[in-house]
Amino acid sequence: MANLTTRFFGLELKTPVIIGSSGLSNSVEKIRLLAQSGAGAIVLKSVFEEEIVNEYKTEFQKQSDDQSNLEFLDYFDYEIKNDRVKNYLDLIQGVKKAGINIPLIASINCASGNEWAFFAKRLAESGADALELNLFLLPSDLNRSAEQVHNYYITTINKVLDTVSVPVTVKLSPYFADLARFIKELSETRLAGITLFNRFYNVDIDLDTRQIVPANVLSHPTEYLQPLRWVGIVSGHVSCDIAASTGIHDYQTALKMIMAGASAVQVVSGVYKHGYDVVKHMVHGMDKWLDQNGIASVSELIGCAGSAKVKNPAMYERVQFMKYFGEFDQSVD
Amino acid sequence: MTTYTEYLKERREQEWREELRKKLKGKERTDQPRVHMPEVDPNERVKSQTVEVNLGLGREEAIKEASRCMDCVNPTCIEGCPVGINIPEFIKNIEREEFSLAAKTLKMYNALPAVCGRVCPQEKQCESKCFYTIKLNKPAVAIGYLERFAADWERESGSMDVPQCAPSNGIKVAAVGSGPSSLSFAGDMVKLGYDVTVFEALHEIGGVLKYGIPEFRLPNRMVDVELDILKKMGVKFVTNFIVGRTASFEQLKEEGFKGFFVGSGAGLPRFMNIPGENYNGIMSSNEYLTRVNLMGANNDEFDTPVLRGKNVAVIGGGNTAMDSVRTAKRLGAERAMIVYRRSRVEMPARVEEVKHAEEEGVEFLNLTNPIEYFADEKGRVNKMRLQLMELGEPDASGRRSPVEIPGATQDIDVDLVIVAVGVSPNPLIPASLPDLKVSRWGTIEVNDGMQSSIPVLFAGGDIVRGGATVILAMGDGRNAAKSMHEYLSDQKD
Repeated sequence: MANLTTRFFGLELKTPVIIGSSGLSNSVEKIRLLAQSGAGAIVLKSVFEEEIVNEYKTEFQKQSDDQSNLEFLDYFDYEIKNDRVKNYLDLIQGVKKAGINIPLIASINCASGNEWAFFAKRLAESGADALELNLFLLPSDLNRSAEQVHNYYITTINKVLDTVSVPVTVKLSPYFADLARFIKELSETRLAGITLFNRFYNVDIDLDTRQIVPANVLSHPTEYLQPLRWVGIVSGHVSCDIAASTGIHDYQTALKMIMAGASAVQVVSGVYKHGYDVVKHMVHGMDKWLDQNGIASVSELIGCAGSAKVKNPAMYERVQFMKYFGEFDQSVD
Repeated sequence: MTTYTEYLKERREQEWREELRKKLKGKERTDQPRVHMPEVDPNERVKSQTVEVNLGLGREEAIKEASRCMDCVNPTCIEGCPVGINIPEFIKNIEREEFSLAAKTLKMYNALPAVCGRVCPQEKQCESKCFYTIKLNKPAVAIGYLERFAADWERESGSMDVPQCAPSNGIKVAAVGSGPSSLSFAGDMVKLGYDVTVFEALHEIGGVLKYGIPEFRLPNRMVDVELDILKKMGVKFVTNFIVGRTASFEQLKEEGFKGFFVGSGAGLPRFMNIPGENYNGIMSSNEYLTRVNLMGANNDEFDTPVLRGKNVAVIGGGNTAMDSVRTAKRLGAERAMIVYRRSRVEMPARVEEVKHAEEEGVEFLNLTNPIEYFADEKGRVNKMRLQLMELGEPDASGRRSPVEIPGATQDIDVDLVIVAVGVSPNPLIPASLPDLKVSRWGTIEVNDGMQSSIPVLFAGGDIVRGGATVILAMGDGRNAAKSMHEYLSDQKD
């Protein structure tokens, strides 16, 4: 049997398959099943600042039948935050009490500057083995410059790094004008790892109602191509571990990501679609493939096809089809 | 059966009220300005924790203000009263100088009018629905001032009656906590002939009325008078007794108690959990006010002091924050500051309390929110970092929400910080009763009759509502008494 141990989150993981942040890990029992399936680590469901704001609204509507308890509700958002942290603490303690041996990673999704540090500290104190910052600003603000966005990330990450002692990783989006340079800059902070990429809520338009509706909640297996390219581009050029995420539904894709340079892969949609067994199949598949190819350890494979190792790294940067489409057009004719 | 609206109509049609309405023309009533509440000079009152700020209306002022009331056909003010006091009737009794009847009218619905006249937010309740407010765009009739006048007159005249009680039925019931909801519960139950015992965890009876509200706003003697009457009616009070610890509910049941009313309030302080909040010199408003109001911390002769500061910051914008900051000023703070993340308009505190605080020299650092505290080498807080805020879109409360201004912070020197960002229900009772159904936030869940998931246990006030005005808490106590009486009567049958 091949050695599947790898490193991410500044931790040694038994296998490179990480369960990404989702509702898959919101109970001790689910975490037990995921651990038994062979997952190397579990990123717990993100604490979303937006959810707290919405819950505050709900509680206000529910509890304030008159203005008499305005004082009680005035700072109730802090109550909700503390409740979220307590739930994390209870879950982590529950897992440890149940003797389930798997690294648990706390995850935060915040929008405002100070909340990151607040949650980071509290969640780190809750016993999480590491912290993942689900850090993203949709570059839709017409008044925010690229420099301001850049500064926001760097300031926030440094603030969190100054606040906690557990390893910290970030899960990034692909929307940066200088993505490769930015990933390199981030890797030179004290971050323990960077995950490429965050998958977002998509919107579509319903032709009948002409209203915006959610689209493609779960990823499709072909979506792996974008992270594969960027993992390959930065592989060998950055100073921290890289993990891949989005569209990884089987062991073959996981292996490709590792060859491109990922130390580990995050999976969510595959588990939602096919159940906990998909993790088992991925782990077994990787193991078998490594054995069949005479490779003793998965670590030997990391980055073997990354831009720093392949003969023609420019392939990762090719964006125009040129001749390819020319041939395609002829076949259509 | 007569509806309440029909009852009000009948009362309005009494001959004396019809005559009184004719005494002045409408314009003569509405042209009169609203009375001003006489107050002690800010420079004087700030020297004392016990000098009441508001002096109360004099006889002539009260009669004049009462004559502003139009005795409306549709008295919308009553809609604004959480317990539906017949407001025009008590006011018209003041106008015709029947002060005793005015007090009696109030007491039909409100067991503690002297308290409510002082601390209820009338501007958000009855006065916000007054004809003057909604139709004339003029200052409302001073319903709160008149309520206080009638109650004070009755007390000072020595004509306070001890209400008649039904013959004892020998059934023992207990009230847990001695705040407004428990007191009104106890009063109603003892009138029905029950053997009522009130258990209080602290050494003083009165709950939040005593430990939470400073004497400069609500003198203890106002509460003591009501307690004396309850005692004369036969209610027993046991202090220093924590139900659930000193004795369990089961033990009390074994002692013969057949019903329980839990009015244990919201005594669990909340904090913001920001860095440095555990430094010395940072405490909850509960601790600060309890030490001063109940434990004599403002008096050097007592052995239960409280930290004093030159630069005192109070976090929050409610009445408790105002009580704390004004107390700090009275304890010698050179700089007493309110730190509140929204603007003045959004503060939950009563307008009058904010005005009084400002007159007494309190500074308002609005649109700021603490994000970190710093300490000296001994661990005593010496600085706080404030995040500057701006107002965003309205939130669920209808108030504009506080939004951080990215990167804008300010450091302020402080040596005492009082955190007054709200309180949570006291967890002792729910923790001692596993079968008791409580909400996610620790409030006891009750039906319309204030009965909990444990049939013999009723509850009201802050332990049910999270936060309640005194009058709402009292309404709960009365509602619970009625329901418990029905429940126990059914059990007996």
